Amino acid sequence: MENILSILVFFPAIAGLLGFVVDKDSARAYGITVAAIEFLLSVWLWFSFDTANAGMQFVELIPIIPDFGISYYLGVDGISLFIILMATLMTLIGMMSMSITENIKNMIITLLFLEMTMVGVFVALDAIIFYLFWELSLVPMLYIIGAWGGPLRVYAAVKFFLYTFTGSLIMLVGMLFVAYVYHNLTGVWSFAITDWYALVLPVNYQLWLFAAFFVGFAIKVPMFPFHTWLPYAHGQAPTIGSVILAAVLLKMGTYGFVRFSLPMFPDASVLSIMPIAALSIIMIIYTAMVAYAQKDMKQVIAYSSVSHMGIIMLGIFAMNAEGISGSVFQMLSHGIVSGALFMLVGVIYDRRHTKLMSEFGGLASVMPKYAVIFGIMLMASVGLPLTIGFVGEFLVLLGFYQVSPVLTVLAGTSIIIGAIYMLSVYKSSFFGPVTNEENKSLKDLNSKETWSLVPLVLIVVWLGVYPKPILAPIDNSVKAMLTFMDEKAITQEAKDMIKVPESTNGREVK
Amino acid sequence: MLQPINVSMESLNLITLAPMLIAIAGGLIILILDLINKNLHKSLYVMLTILILVIDFGATLGLNVNVRGFFDVMLIDGVSIVSQLLIIVASIIFTPLALTSKRFHEYSYPEFFALFLFMVAGFQFMVASDNLILIFVGLETASLSLYTLIALHNRSNSYEAAVKYFTMGALAAAFFAMGSAVIYALTGSIELYRVAEVLAVRMGETGLMIAIFGSSVLLLVAFAFKLSLFPFHTWAPDVYEGASAPLAGYMSVVPKVAAFVVSIRIFGMYIDLGVEWVRVVILVLAVLTMTLSNLMALVQEDVKRMLAYSSISHAGFIIAALALDTTEGTTAIFFYYGLFMFTNLGAFTMLWMSRHKSRRFNARFDHPYEKFAGFIKIMPMGAVIMAIFMLSLAGVPPFSIFWGKIYVMQAAVNSGYVWLAIVMGLNSAIAAYYYLKLVVYMFLKDPVKDVDTVYYNLSKPLMVVVGFAAVATIAAIFYVQPLVSYIYYMISASGY
Repeated sequence: MENILSILVFFPAIAGLLGFVVDKDSARAYGITVAAIEFLLSVWLWFSFDTANAGMQFVELIPIIPDFGISYYLGVDGISLFIILMATLMTLIGMMSMSITENIKNMIITLLFLEMTMVGVFVALDAIIFYLFWELSLVPMLYIIGAWGGPLRVYAAVKFFLYTFTGSLIMLVGMLFVAYVYHNLTGVWSFAITDWYALVLPVNYQLWLFAAFFVGFAIKVPMFPFHTWLPYAHGQAPTIGSVILAAVLLKMGTYGFVRFSLPMFPDASVLSIMPIAALSIIMIIYTAMVAYAQKDMKQVIAYSSVSHMGIIMLGIFAMNAEGISGSVFQMLSHGIVSGALFMLVGVIYDRRHTKLMSEFGGLASVMPKYAVIFGIMLMASVGLPLTIGFVGEFLVLLGFYQVSPVLTVLAGTSIIIGAIYMLSVYKSSFFGPVTNEENKSLKDLNSKETWSLVPLVLIVVWLGVYPKPILAPIDNSVKAMLTFMDEKAITQEAKDMIKVPESTNGREVK
Repeated sequence: MLQPINVSMESLNLITLAPMLIAIAGGLIILILDLINKNLHKSLYVMLTILILVIDFGATLGLNVNVRGFFDVMLIDGVSIVSQLLIIVASIIFTPLALTSKRFHEYSYPEFFALFLFMVAGFQFMVASDNLILIFVGLETASLSLYTLIALHNRSNSYEAAVKYFTMGALAAAFFAMGSAVIYALTGSIELYRVAEVLAVRMGETGLMIAIFGSSVLLLVAFAFKLSLFPFHTWAPDVYEGASAPLAGYMSVVPKVAAFVVSIRIFGMYIDLGVEWVRVVILVLAVLTMTLSNLMALVQEDVKRMLAYSSISHAGFIIAALALDTTEGTTAIFFYYGLFMFTNLGAFTMLWMSRHKSRRFNARFDHPYEKFAGFIKIMPMGAVIMAIFMLSLAGVPPFSIFWGKIYVMQAAVNSGYVWLAIVMGLNSAIAAYYYLKLVVYMFLKDPVKDVDTVYYNLSKPLMVVVGFAAVATIAAIFYVQPLVSYIYYMISASGY
């Protein structure tokens, strides 16, 4: 199956089209089945993936608009492989746990289209195809937030759309300029990322282009100060929307940095380390503090999500294997953990129709199973050793320590602040006596919810204890990328900064 | 003693006139049919018009590139063939919109269809010549027919629209005539290729530069009216609002394509000759037009007025490509309109479907946003298609206009105008807001009242037109390559 990537991309979309015919009572079962098949396909992709090979695999290349240099060009490497797995897994689990009953068929179809765009972004190796999926992903999300969200849903949905749309248009101009430069140097039009990698750009070009791509990616991440759309989007989105948004859509931004900004503009990336680190640290500490001030449980997680995205950004700009591999790993762990946390808040919201922490207290005695799972996810979110959250965070901090010990210490405070706000959420909601009469009769997790959450718990613990099967292939591709960046860098500063691993094959991760 | 004039038929090369003659003959046939039998149904006229246009299309497609004919007045170059094809295709899509389920009285006149064909012929003349007089004649033939077509729509504000358009059009015609007169006085010729030759020799003379300045200003004003560029765009929203939705959609494409061709011939010539300020003025007009009309579109309460401002903004977007004066830039104009045509006609057709004789929602507007509230619940397929048109207009990939946008932006970047590409990008971001507003109304709000109002005027032919436009919008990625290479070939063959 040479074209497994195409199948992965278009299977959900075709299923979505056919979904229009499915009866609305069976829509949910249909959606789960399709998502499960899609997940199995991505698992198959993992098993057929050659972990020793750090380059692009399963490449498909068909020119579609040769005059523009646009081709249908797909491929995966160690970096994108696991993000795809995470995306298909979270879509499946999100669908399983979904409590929406109104217009369920539309929701399922929308989610399937969204899945196509998500997978598409992570397998695209042509900038325009990447941009195509990137922009298309806004449409289903707009509908999910706008149709199933809270009272301010339309405002939140439109804000989400316009913010990201504006950012990506600037990115598009950047892409066009890279293609133009490529054309000037080679006489051929090409939007293929692998072709672009070969370009050695002067530093001033790199800086401008880095800035153009930065706007697009930073809004998506969302970096401080472009993060203001996110609390609205999360606050108003239905549970499934928040799960997908936090788990997958935000990763598009950080993935963009790894896929485009670093290898294409190594010198500009090195020059931007300090500004980006400063923004990331503001993002980490400031949003963590804002999270502490929230009264609404979902907003706490939304802001903590921004804070953790800051850690990922920091790792990407550490310019060494530990930092970048840690970031990619943290993308996965953040996807799983924040997705699970949003699902958990959704569970309690379904029962009580409120997310205010002041309404709860002593939940642990009423809903023990729920409390245990919530507790595990919370620990993972804080970054407790032996959970998935620790591995990524530790590697990122280790990586960035080589850049600046002081900033690393500052970033490390996020673990402390994180522990403070997360534990205070847990304490006020789960411990103590049951203060609210209504909470006494709350039902614990039902089988649907248990079945969707338990796999995530298992993954959290498994990868927390033994991250190697995933970390090794990621590390492999990251090291190849770093070697390549070092060769390509033109300034001495960049060459000094980019840490080339001594050997790229088979080396154990620290 | 007078010498008898001797003209051989071969030198006339009458084949160059064939497409226009077909349209004119078709119009006459319709009038004659009406003379013979008064009781024929409009569907006959619609189908005849389409058939005649199909023949016209075939005749245009068969023309050879770069020939002159009829005392060298006709100029069949790549630009004229491509633009004629666009004009005819847009007209073919437009014609079946007469077949609505409700009776609209303008379509019961066979004269409507005859005038329509004369108008097409006028536009064809306009683009198939570089003789300023023939351009003027074509322009006026087309415009006068168009004024009448607008006025035939039986509404007080369509008379208002027609009169407004007529007044503005007359003014523009006057500016055009005066501008051409200055050119003639300057060079002793009304044929642009000769004008270019004369000017090239005399560039740099102060007096000549002043005269060029005068004529360009006059011509720029004339075409700014026709292309509805800022600050000469104010008529456009009112005229679009007064005209029937199909005509409004038609006006947003066909007259503009024709005016673009003439602009390319005249201003492209100036830029080629090195009159840099023409380029600057066009760029300034382009930026102002797209930005200000976008801002105006934001505050509209009526979908049709919003689409009117959006068409102005798209014209501003495209006129920038003219200023680049490269083969790519010129290709971009036709390529963009080739894609824009389907989407925009589709969007206007959706409005036409929802047209009623009385205003049920709003005393002032026919198509307020509220009318489309909850469209997804009333007619899911219709809402999805309309949303696709809106996303395409906003430039969301992979829908058609996105490819046009990147082609234009790429052309701008290639000519070193990166700032222009950024302005275009930012403008697309502003535009996304008002297109999205309609999507939000359709998908995220609840229906207001009278749920049938949104498809009041629906009929099978309209569904076919919308379906065709939707397929063309969605499947653009598959025909972009052949389309762009055909247009690029034709444009470069004619030396632009």
